[in-house]
Amino acid sequence: MVRSVFKSFLNLPKTITNISILTPSFYRPNSISISRSYSTPRIYLSVGKKIGSLFSVPVGEQFQEFGSLFSAKYSTNGDGSADSGIGGREYLLMSDEELMKQCELSTFKASGPGGQHRNKRESAVRLKHSPTGIIAQAVEDRSQHMNRASALSRLRALLALKVRNNIDLDTYTPPQELLQILPAKSTIRGSNCGPQIGPNNPKFALGMQALLDLLFAVEGSVSDAAKKLGLSTGALSRLLLSDDNLRMAVNEFRVSKGIKPLK
Amino acid sequence: MRLSFIRPISCYSVSSPATSVKLQKPLFVRPPTFKTTISDLKKWHLWAKSLTSSVGSTFLELDNGPDSELLLRELNWLVEDAIQTPKSFLQQPHIKYNDNSSVSIRASLEQLYMLWKQRVEERRPFQYVVGCEHWRDLVLSVQEGVLIPRPETELIVDLVNDAIKENEELREGLWADLGTGSGALAIGIARILGSSGRVVATDLSPVAAAVASYNVQTYDLEEKVHVKQGSWFEPLRDNDGEFVGLVSNPPYIPSKDIGGLQAEVGRHEPRLALDGGASGMNDLIHLCNGAVSMLKPGGFFAFETNGDEQSKFLVHYIETKKQGNFSKVKMVSDFAGIQRFITGFRGR
Repeated sequence: MVRSVFKSFLNLPKTITNISILTPSFYRPNSISISRSYSTPRIYLSVGKKIGSLFSVPVGEQFQEFGSLFSAKYSTNGDGSADSGIGGREYLLMSDEELMKQCELSTFKASGPGGQHRNKRESAVRLKHSPTGIIAQAVEDRSQHMNRASALSRLRALLALKVRNNIDLDTYTPPQELLQILPAKSTIRGSNCGPQIGPNNPKFALGMQALLDLLFAVEGSVSDAAKKLGLSTGALSRLLLSDDNLRMAVNEFRVSKGIKPLK
Repeated sequence: MRLSFIRPISCYSVSSPATSVKLQKPLFVRPPTFKTTISDLKKWHLWAKSLTSSVGSTFLELDNGPDSELLLRELNWLVEDAIQTPKSFLQQPHIKYNDNSSVSIRASLEQLYMLWKQRVEERRPFQYVVGCEHWRDLVLSVQEGVLIPRPETELIVDLVNDAIKENEELREGLWADLGTGSGALAIGIARILGSSGRVVATDLSPVAAAVASYNVQTYDLEEKVHVKQGSWFEPLRDNDGEFVGLVSNPPYIPSKDIGGLQAEVGRHEPRLALDGGASGMNDLIHLCNGAVSMLKPGGFFAFETNGDEQSKFLVHYIETKKQGNFSKVKMVSDFAGIQRFITGFRGR
């Protein structure tokens, strides 16, 4: 139901170009760690066989079938099947349960029989989102259950950062979830938006995704995006720099377009 | 009608927790009555780190034990559990603390030295060192004599949840967790049952029964979970045929493999909870046999096994030896891809 509404709204092409995947790299996102942790939260992104072989992923070899299924699934994504035009926004609108259904979950490949044989407190969880091949994992919490929750929350952030929705600039009006993350001084932000939503709010991911969609559509120009959002260039820059993930995603894209990164 | 089987259980539960068992409170709930200084704590931490680093991969090579990276993570958790204030002492090393400023801790500095020595030199399981294990969204008290609940076993609660969603009758019925240990499964399940759903948790070990009762109290579930000391189905005889669900993580390691276990398990955890006899399946077979008369028609069971081979054997055993008694019997794999569980339903 939701799906059909957004499909027409998003007007997504059925080829793989509807998913813009940034340069593969692994992040050290300080701002989306939700659990109390000492060790650095780690997120690894695998984007298929070709890239996966060029970039070594630190703990990848400990997992089973790391990234190998992706290219097969990737190609079926563009073969014109009914679900091939799903955009990132729809993934983020899914409930945790729905999103989990799209994921393969595995723990670190057990060396040995596991269960009662083992006491190693390795409660790491790895989630692979099958439609996009995006992988999120969490290792730092003390229970597997909690790591699963952390991994899912990271997956949402990664989906927001990595999966783009196409937008039409001529008819563009910012969606509500984007307005909600804008500072109050935005001239197009109505009073019904409530207080500004920050990076710690679970709703931030949707707004961040919409903001990145716009920035990609305007080829990375902060001033062009700012105009669409009723903000000064400076105010939008500050927003983009306020979250580490957002900043890195924007700067990676700007660098790829030959624009200097925001500082 | 329902009360008829609940009442006798609450009577028994009064007598269950063994009075002779000395319970150890988890470190993180003990009062922070000890004081030390930042500089002394730092000294301890440096000592502990260097002791840990010296392990390298020796344990890993010796018996597939923890390497120093895992041990360092545990050390951080020990700090987390031991320190009252300042909480951020190690989390934010950039914050400058006055070395003479006072720190409130839940064990004396001498105890912290001793505890970490035990962890590394005696291979005492980390969970016994801090007296708790984080399992699902629970923090359960554990101590010597009680099996430390494993991450694999977390999945049984999800399997039960799936079964309940399919058949709401299961939500309000009587469940049993056989060989409950710390009470993990009983508590996990009690939290997803409806207002009249109940769990009876049995364990032969008086220590386990006492620890399970303590954990049940921690989660305010005395009304829902009744702990009874005794072997498998024995304490449940009065409720024969009344159970809508049975779960268990029984001992399943073949006796010959006990000697080769990683030191944390083999040297410190109760053999009673690990050793499943020559094939490892003595208790699992006993459970499968007992389930026939204990379960109501349509009732659900989920048992953890040693993995692939045992699960295959047991499914085959049920299908041939218990023919017609169960339906939808299947294996379920854990997150590492091992066929870790068998589940099924009592035929209607």
